[in-house]
Amino acid sequence: MSVSLRAQSALDVAALVQSRHASRRRRERFGRLLAALGAATVVASVLAIPVFLLFELLSPGAVPDGTFGRLGVLLTGTLRASLLAVLVAFPVGLAAAIHLVCFSTPQQRSRWRPALDLLAAIPTVVLGLIALTWLAPWLQSRIATLLVMTAAVLAAMLGVSVWLGARLRAHPVHRLWVMFGVAALVGACVAAWDPLAGTVEVSSPWNGVLVGLALGVAAVPLICSIAADALQAAWDRHVDAAVALGASRWQALRSLVLPAAGTGLGAAALLAFGRCAGETMILLMASGNMPVASADPREGLRSLSAELALSLPGAERGGALWRTLLLATLILFVLSWACNLAAGRLRARAFS
Amino acid sequence: MIRIAAARRGSFVDDLGSGTAAAGLALCLLLAGGIVLLLVRFGLAPFWPQPVVEYTLRDGRTVLGEVVARRGDAWIVRSDEHARPGDGYLRVREQEIVAERSPPEATVNVHADGRRSYRAGVSDAPAPDVVAAEPRNALTFAGKLAFFAERLRAYAFGGDRPGDPGQGLLPALAGTLTLVLLMSLIVMPIGVAAAVHLHVYAGNGRVGALVRGAVGSLAGVPSIVYGVLGLGLFVHGIGGGIDRWFYAERLPVPTFGTGGLLWAALTLAVLTLPVVVATVEEGLSRIPDTQRLGSLALGATRGETLRALLLPLARPALLSAWILAVARAVGAVAPLMLVGVVKFAPASPIDADFPYLHPSRQFMHLGFAVYDNALTSPDALVGVPRAYSAALLLVVLVLVLNAAAGLVGKRLRDRYRSFPI
Repeated sequence: MSVSLRAQSALDVAALVQSRHASRRRRERFGRLLAALGAATVVASVLAIPVFLLFELLSPGAVPDGTFGRLGVLLTGTLRASLLAVLVAFPVGLAAAIHLVCFSTPQQRSRWRPALDLLAAIPTVVLGLIALTWLAPWLQSRIATLLVMTAAVLAAMLGVSVWLGARLRAHPVHRLWVMFGVAALVGACVAAWDPLAGTVEVSSPWNGVLVGLALGVAAVPLICSIAADALQAAWDRHVDAAVALGASRWQALRSLVLPAAGTGLGAAALLAFGRCAGETMILLMASGNMPVASADPREGLRSLSAELALSLPGAERGGALWRTLLLATLILFVLSWACNLAAGRLRARAFS
Repeated sequence: MIRIAAARRGSFVDDLGSGTAAAGLALCLLLAGGIVLLLVRFGLAPFWPQPVVEYTLRDGRTVLGEVVARRGDAWIVRSDEHARPGDGYLRVREQEIVAERSPPEATVNVHADGRRSYRAGVSDAPAPDVVAAEPRNALTFAGKLAFFAERLRAYAFGGDRPGDPGQGLLPALAGTLTLVLLMSLIVMPIGVAAAVHLHVYAGNGRVGALVRGAVGSLAGVPSIVYGVLGLGLFVHGIGGGIDRWFYAERLPVPTFGTGGLLWAALTLAVLTLPVVVATVEEGLSRIPDTQRLGSLALGATRGETLRALLLPLARPALLSAWILAVARAVGAVAPLMLVGVVKFAPASPIDADFPYLHPSRQFMHLGFAVYDNALTSPDALVGVPRAYSAALLLVVLVLVLNAAAGLVGKRLRDRYRSFPI
């Protein structure tokens, strides 16, 4: 099939060669112009955002008093939510990436990747819905239970891992299924037993912990895929030497691969932070939208993005609220752009 | 060989370390599976026939209806509705219940206006406006399954009865599809042109670096910022301009100067531009260089090579880029809230009146239906199940699109693996 395809293509091209020259040149120039127009549109759309924001903000008219205080509260809300999300998502994403890169065969990897893709594909409005209607009522009195559950699940997994030791070592698939079962079983047991219900007081069911969890779920696939890229590059470079010197996989990972992949992992965290800062639907639905300036994860929050989604449709164009919200947009744009740029630099350095 | 030996080597610390790593992946898989199961469970629950129960209370009253939720120590029971759907919810506290039974002949009467009424037996003559009488408690499992399948069919293909959870989702689905199709018409030519420029003309020079940087920056911009751009530049700027020039007689009532389908499609087009450019460029760069060089050696210009050879070969990449862009756009709700999505559109943006597609009209959207039903519905007992039904539909749509993109991409990769080079 491929051979005939090539022959056909060659004939097509030969036919073109025999066509008239002036019209060919004209067509060539026209095609080139079209392509350049497309590229120019891309560049223009990037430039349009800051140019539009600055143009509107610099046009005459005063920014109302107290704007910066209000935006400061929103900014702390955004930063707090993103930080909590990265704190939740980074360990999980990194561990998953380590397992994919260092303890799985390529076949297993290609089998598990779709599950992570699935997680990445779920629209954030759906995660927000689940956080709002399913997780929030449960979590309201059970933050302590959640912590106990995490610790118990982790301890049980590690216990089983050490107990079954050598039998699991060469079989990452078995290990994963065992872990899967242990996690589900212990988690369900702690949830049913619920030892510490009501020990941690929260001011509202929509609080920082809830936002961190929901936003963290959204960030896990991103962190995992970028961390896996960084780890894979470092692993390929170092593993043969380490193993030839007698190191086990874990020793190779800890002593050589993790330090070598450090910048790449930092880039993953930064990128996830920027993505979470710009995320809107989860924050709109799960954060309670109360402007509270506090670092306490048990308090609710209101983020820049949620403020935009809630207030901008009702803002009169050119009015005080409009300008305040455009300023908020500019802050959000600069924040995510800076995170992106820094992450890009880190990744470039990691792969050079 | 060396690596296999290393896999069997190891100690206590190794088991702890690799166990933690496996725990992380296990948690990811649990999350993915759990979320999908949760959506299926809550999204499909409204279609399953609930039994009719009769509670006898301590004060001698009896309550007949179906249990819909539990709040604290009380059951929420949907009971006879007299004036409008949703006015018959009762709160029955558990300690007030002295007896509970499910009358085997109980029926649910569905009225033409969506109200439900409950009868313990079949003896009374049904009211004239009853459109369906369901003997819920007499259903066998197969009967329940048939009921479930019938309701689901009505949900998917229309024909819903008033008061069903699928009400209003069909126009939302239609709005979503119209929106993404219009967006595709805008984004695909621009994205493909930009990718072609990058691959064929710009190369790795200064212009190429500029365009690549722009694509990278676009990918990192939060979606709500695109919404602000759409509102300020497209709606107020361009739309307001069109109104002043062409629809001045209708001002101050805006025609294009307010949120609408066209502006939402433009906004989503900018949002999905980086996906299209990156995917198409990758597809073009996967084509073996020998193809391009052969064509050029035969005297074809770059444009001719592109048209006759590269673009036809990269067709799967174009398809894959289109599907990925649509999948991204379907899930992007936040920017739409600023550029014209509404909870109920009086007129569909696509209808039988000339010119059939009305780009200035407001529209409904599945993702917004999720948000709106969950958060702003006056009746959470109706709104939340409806939100889950919409969410299930949305997730199925996105997952099917992503799976399709994956399959197409795989076909593309396989095609070039078999190239005899």
